[in-house]
Amino acid sequence: MSLPELGEEIRVRLGVLAREVKVAKGFVEVVTGRETLREVAKTLKEMGFDHVKSVTAVDYPKEGKIRVTYHASSFLNEELSRFMVGLSVDLPRDKPVVETLYPIWNSVEFMEREVYEFFGVIFEGHPDLRPLLLAPDLAEKKVMRKDFVVREESIYEGVPHEYK
Amino acid sequence: MGVGVGGACAKGEGKVYAGNLNVAAKRARDIILGKLKLGEVVDWATTFSLWPVHLVTSCCGAEFAATWSPRFDAEQYGALPWISPRQTNFIIIEGTVTRKMACALRITYEQMAHPKFVIAMGACALDGGLFYNSYNVVKPWEIVPVDVYIAGCPPPPEALARAILDLRKKIREKKMASNWLREGWRGDVEYPMPKEDPCKWWQP
Repeated sequence: MSLPELGEEIRVRLGVLAREVKVAKGFVEVVTGRETLREVAKTLKEMGFDHVKSVTAVDYPKEGKIRVTYHASSFLNEELSRFMVGLSVDLPRDKPVVETLYPIWNSVEFMEREVYEFFGVIFEGHPDLRPLLLAPDLAEKKVMRKDFVVREESIYEGVPHEYK
Repeated sequence: MGVGVGGACAKGEGKVYAGNLNVAAKRARDIILGKLKLGEVVDWATTFSLWPVHLVTSCCGAEFAATWSPRFDAEQYGALPWISPRQTNFIIIEGTVTRKMACALRITYEQMAHPKFVIAMGACALDGGLFYNSYNVVKPWEIVPVDVYIAGCPPPPEALARAILDLRKKIREKKMASNWLREGWRGDVEYPMPKEDPCKWWQP
């Protein structure tokens, strides 16, 4: 099976559920809506994509949306294990709420927590939604969004007192 | 004992002797560490019993491990890494200190036995290094008083060995250990209180 064949098969399987299926360099990208995300994920799992490698998000402040992307692949199916599928969902920036995919792929648990603390995306139905790496007061500021401004330090600010 | 009643001796019968333990201890300390020059012995001994605690926060930990390996052998300077902060007197900050780790660093420093010394290792511990201008990185000198800084990213094991030698020299020249024992606090460095509480996120 080659990559365009896999893209065609995914396009046929998903039908109207997918908003957009395109073959990018090295992986197939599927874009879907918030309502149909779970059904698409179920279909992909039935096809043989049995785990998620990464969950990430991209912030588009001008378009007012946050795109959450799940990268799924396979361990058990040898043919599919050579490919990767990106499953993306667009969320409104002011209220990014989406249903969790934890019941379908168990490996998303920690990665969804990470997206939650860095981007403020709320995953409904997640068993343990709290910050993973950051301190809670910093996680409230949603540090990986584009409108988070880091305090600029001058070069002399970092000099210890005794050397001033 | 502060108060004693002299009963055995007939001459002191009926008298109550009172004394201040703190004053007596300070006098004894001044005589032993000041007049008898025992302070120099204390400083000399301290230079050969530096026990660094493991606080590996970043990749400098690899260089830290190499420093105590047979090739560079920092144990010849009398420093041996130890596990518990209660039994150590020396801390090497190995690399980046994040906000969560700053809390651990402060707690570890407070738990260590007096007199205690700090070496900040690597560019990240100086001013952030790679992670300069980051929202999650703090500078160690805002958290604990640092004695010796090492530049480099990461510093080679020779630099760490040299820093230990420099610290030993500093202890003997500035009489850091004996002064600390005499006064109860370090006069030569400012003891920083963190501007913002590093542990404010922590909930038991």
